[in-house]
Amino acid sequence: MEILKVEGISKHFGGVVAVEGFSMVQRDNQISGIIGPNGAGKTTVFNLITGATPVDRGRVLFMEQEITRFPAHRRADLGIARTFQNIRLFGNLTVLDNMKVAHDMKVRYTLWEEMLRLPRVRRQEKAIDEKARHFLAYLGLDSYADQKPQNLPYGIQRRLELARTLMTEPRIVLLDEPAAGLNPQEVRDLMATIRKIQEENALTIVIVEHHMELIMNICSLIHVLDFGKKIAEGEPEAIKKNEQVLQAYLGEEV
Amino acid sequence: MFYLKVLEITSLYTILVLGVYLMTGLTGLFSLGQGAFVSIGAYTAAIAYMRFGVPFPLALALAVLMGALLGFLVGIPTLRLRRDYFLLVTFGLSEMVRAGLLYLAQLTGGALGMAGMPRKVGLPLILGSIVVITFITYSLKRSRFGRDCIAIRDDELAASMVGINVYAHKMKVFIISSAITAYGGALYAFSILFIEPNIFNWLESAKLIIITFVGGLNSIAGVIAASVIYYSFGEFFRFIDVWRDVLLAVVVVLVIIFRPGGLFQGLSLLPSKLKAMRSGR
Repeated sequence: MEILKVEGISKHFGGVVAVEGFSMVQRDNQISGIIGPNGAGKTTVFNLITGATPVDRGRVLFMEQEITRFPAHRRADLGIARTFQNIRLFGNLTVLDNMKVAHDMKVRYTLWEEMLRLPRVRRQEKAIDEKARHFLAYLGLDSYADQKPQNLPYGIQRRLELARTLMTEPRIVLLDEPAAGLNPQEVRDLMATIRKIQEENALTIVIVEHHMELIMNICSLIHVLDFGKKIAEGEPEAIKKNEQVLQAYLGEEV
Repeated sequence: MFYLKVLEITSLYTILVLGVYLMTGLTGLFSLGQGAFVSIGAYTAAIAYMRFGVPFPLALALAVLMGALLGFLVGIPTLRLRRDYFLLVTFGLSEMVRAGLLYLAQLTGGALGMAGMPRKVGLPLILGSIVVITFITYSLKRSRFGRDCIAIRDDELAASMVGINVYAHKMKVFIISSAITAYGGALYAFSILFIEPNIFNWLESAKLIIITFVGGLNSIAGVIAASVIYYSFGEFFRFIDVWRDVLLAVVVVLVIIFRPGGLFQGLSLLPSKLKAMRSGR
């Protein structure tokens, strides 16, 4: 099934063309990558898909439903989750609460029940607590539950952001440079983690990344962006040999 | 008797502090227009009771409804704005309400204000209200509502990306805050027994914000403690006049430098937390 379909989306910031006529089709249960030089518009593509920035032109379809004009929180509720290039955790919430917040849109108790802390609230809070602890343990983060995120090592913060996306009950997860700032061992762990959560949760994953080893290893399809336009699309082996791609990366070994 | 009066006034203001706690403390929205809601609450209750013969409990409920309604109407255009603009708009709002009260003299008594309300509000009602409001605030803080507030305060974009409807949530916060503040205003009218358009100017609103910060953004108990200390201190030290405010300013600067998390950071009234504090966690 085509879970995500992007049709010719464009975004201009003043005179700057961030993304121009970008299209992609994402099949269910697969891992794809988006690569390209710095400033090619990769993160903007994520922002347009998630609704962080409105599109100028083009359409975004999620599970055959047009979501181009949906506000960001509704897209999250439908099952689009993401991480950020520069980690964006909630600094004043504990690790556990960072997880819970991502599940709050699914909570069913009302504001009135919450004010009086009725049994239904307590019951559901307990369930959320268990779910959050479950996913923390799932990614080996359970020992950090009561800490504040800024006190954690960088690699752990990245992992927490990944865990947080799982709390939203996503269908598709967009990872924005998940390997940035990680050491080689951590990158290997990350690859294993991404594969694991993809397989065990039947997820679809799109990765924006500069780390070629990671992209080439775990993506079945790769889109290449340059100056906001797609210059190539294909399987890793084909992309490695693509003339235009090599030129865009000029000198960089692909 | 004097002490009881001090306690009463202190408690009245503490309700107003609790009114901004969810909004300013948890969500990071700053309002200089709390005076508008105090006035709306006070005047709604007083006018309903004095001019239309509405029974007192119903007049209180009307005041709360009017406060919530005003919060909703003001929130529609302003809560999508950047926070600094929100601050300015609420500042303008309090001036507008003040002008409106002066202008509608037939109903409100204009600059002369309104007097002659019977003394319907005593210490038990005020303290009872504080307990109820604290309970509600605390319940909200420790479940979904409070988490979402803090997430929005920390990072609005990330909050919307994990499915929080930022605008709707701010609206709920603002309405609850407005309702509590209007309720405080209504109690004020039937406790102090005299109201006029200047009962609560923007400087008083600023003090609410300062008290919230000094008490500690994440601690309801700390904020209540700071409020009680500040307002009772204010009554006891009336003789040093403007120096009160100088002293307050010094305390604020010291707190911000040495205890950025607030004077009573980590203070909690829960038995379990107290135990944890004693055992040095």
